Amino acid sequence: MLSANRQRLAIPLLLLASTAGPAYWALPEGLSPLRSLGIILGWAGCGLLLGSLLLMLRETWLSRWLGGLEDMYRWHHRAGIVAYVALLAHPLALAVDSWPEFPAVAWQTLSPFGNGWAVRLGWLSLLLLMFGLATTFATRIPYRSWRWLHASLGVGVLLGLGHLLQLGIEEPVLPLLALAMLLLGWRFIRDDAGLAARPYLVHSATPIANGVVEIGLQPLAEPIAADAGQFVVVAFFAGAGFRGCGQFHPFSVSSIGGDGEIRVGVKALGDCTRHLQSIAAGVPARVHGGFGSFLAGRPATVQLWLAGGIGVTPFVALLRAGPLSQPTTLIYLYRSAADAAYLAELQTLAAADRLLSLQAHATGDLPPDLASLLPAGRDLASRECYICGPPAMVAAVRRALRRCGVTTRHIHFENFDFR
Amino acid sequence: MRRLYICATAVFWLLVATVAIVGNWSPAADPASAPAPERLIPVAELAKHALPNDCWMAIRGVVHDVSAYLPEHPSRPSVVVPWCGREATEAYETKTRGRPHSAQADELLARYRIGRLAAERP
Repeated sequence: MLSANRQRLAIPLLLLASTAGPAYWALPEGLSPLRSLGIILGWAGCGLLLGSLLLMLRETWLSRWLGGLEDMYRWHHRAGIVAYVALLAHPLALAVDSWPEFPAVAWQTLSPFGNGWAVRLGWLSLLLLMFGLATTFATRIPYRSWRWLHASLGVGVLLGLGHLLQLGIEEPVLPLLALAMLLLGWRFIRDDAGLAARPYLVHSATPIANGVVEIGLQPLAEPIAADAGQFVVVAFFAGAGFRGCGQFHPFSVSSIGGDGEIRVGVKALGDCTRHLQSIAAGVPARVHGGFGSFLAGRPATVQLWLAGGIGVTPFVALLRAGPLSQPTTLIYLYRSAADAAYLAELQTLAAADRLLSLQAHATGDLPPDLASLLPAGRDLASRECYICGPPAMVAAVRRALRRCGVTTRHIHFENFDFR
Repeated sequence: MRRLYICATAVFWLLVATVAIVGNWSPAADPASAPAPERLIPVAELAKHALPNDCWMAIRGVVHDVSAYLPEHPSRPSVVVPWCGREATEAYETKTRGRPHSAQADELLARYRIGRLAAERP
């Protein structure tokens, strides 16, 4: 595995190469600055989109190389939006090139009407990217619909490459088109259709708090390789009187058994996970993973763990895996006692392990007063801090820790927002 | 990122609308304004201009000196240069998968017109 620093640089370097490669290949000579800029922006946007497609693949080996699935998705989003801006500027720069002499030619260059299929495909591609990104940011759309709307971005990429083919540029575009189709097909077949996932069977389902069920999964073939603190992507199907939604969702692993059995904590956050609260033993499932590395490679220094709601699950998995080797404070925040999953078990573990100090707080409906919950500044500065919970809570805790003088490299966190 | 998306999209449509409005109200580029002396150019003379930096092409009976435009052509030089110094109407009409160039390309081509191809004597 690459070192942490190399991993941090892996994705930016990959995106730089995928952007600079096509732009260098198409580097114009002797053209006006605006026309040159338009051409470079088009190729750079195309390269960035291909890099972005690679980052949407959900493969354990790839996520290990590139520093984790969360980093990959974060850069997938960044690359996508930067490519979109570059591709919007591409036709504008080409059109504006002839603007000072012939404004009419500028419009003829840009117009989707009467310009042949090359320009029409370019426009269709841009409109699909525009539509796909608009839906990407619409978080209120149900996940099932959102996934398909988001897929329109992939069609937009293919149409953009079709635009280049129509311009008669076949030499590098045909391999790029093949690569784009390979990446899209890979994602669809291996990840969305579940070919990369392993077959499991639900053998237990235990409600552990309001709207939280812990599901035990027994492998039917070779089990996945996962560590405590990681998450897996699971789809539940129809069987034993239950009809699962068949969509892959990320869930934190709460324990890993010696026989390959894993347990996951599932909180009712949407239609699919709400339905899973009534799952029963015997339901078939497919499991892919494990992913995530934010709790891996922890140094042997004093630690502070902050968990919000179901975000406590990866910490529970670590504690279940064995006794701690460094003094650790776990601050567990939940709305009310009825919502506090694993609380009784955590209290038992804390009583048995002198290195674990548990602070459990019911916050009610108001945001917690973090300043009063965090250890004193001097004590805090020497700790490695790990945060897991809802995005708003993670953001608030990060701000509070920085205000207390904790540097960014000592703050580790993980978001589960895959949209 | 959401803010960047909204701002970029809004600026894009604003600029497209500006180019469309001004472009539609402005007079079209007049190909006749480009110097295009109507001289007759024999095939033998056409054939002498078959280099990337000295490239004449005969398209639909009209000879064009496209040397200055070649670097701007979206295709690779290997696609276009072989047609320098030749009658290239068929290539022009069947650009990609048998489709002709656009009306805009026709207009652009007219700016490089230098004469008419002289008819071959039997």
